[in-house]
Amino acid sequence: MGPVRHGKQETIEKVCEIVKNQLALAEGTTVTGETKFVDIGADSLDTVEIVMGLEEAFNITVDESSAQEIQTVDDAAALIDKLVSEKDA
Amino acid sequence: MAFTMRAVKVPPNSASLEEARHRVFDFFKQACRSIPTVMEIYNLEDVVTPAQLRSSIAKQIRQNQSITNPKVIDMLLFKGTEELNNIVEHAKQRHHVIGQYVIGEQGLLQETGSKDQASSEFLKKFYTSNYF
Repeated sequence: MGPVRHGKQETIEKVCEIVKNQLALAEGTTVTGETKFVDIGADSLDTVEIVMGLEEAFNITVDESSAQEIQTVDDAAALIDKLVSEKDA
Repeated sequence: MAFTMRAVKVPPNSASLEEARHRVFDFFKQACRSIPTVMEIYNLEDVVTPAQLRSSIAKQIRQNQSITNPKVIDMLLFKGTEELNNIVEHAKQRHHVIGQYVIGEQGLLQETGSKDQASSEFLKKFYTSNYF
């Protein structure tokens, strides 16, 4: 099974929502799957905080090594989908 | 009445800034994962949301973000861990937790959005902290 790098659209949208709230971005700011967290003004602590918010929202636990890999919204969505499906399996 | 103290072994000093950084993130994650327990213990469901607690923890960590000496960072982490342990083992009381982490300088954090419309941007920044 090759690396799954694309999350479901619904997951991506939910992640974008959480990210926008977390970073208090202005209403018109576009956040898409390709948006990198550093580009929207998130420092490393913000990224960890966003990951924790996602953990809470999706009821999953992200381990250290996977958390390091997350650079874009899409990475986060893909990881969430993977963890959710593993949980339900 | 026995306090169930968590192991307070002091780990060896971080070898580098990078390792200290990792420890900060581990501490932050540990704190975030204890948030549901804390909300349960102190009955904070109606007062604050987990997201607000996360951001007040992050705010405190961010206050020290410019420090470059790993030993100082270790010391701050030790203090932070001690504080977290105290809160989780219910050694603190509800008013401590609310006063320190829920209420900011201007009252309940979520209610102060529209109060200060008359004051200028400069004043708002001035009231929140020394550094801007």
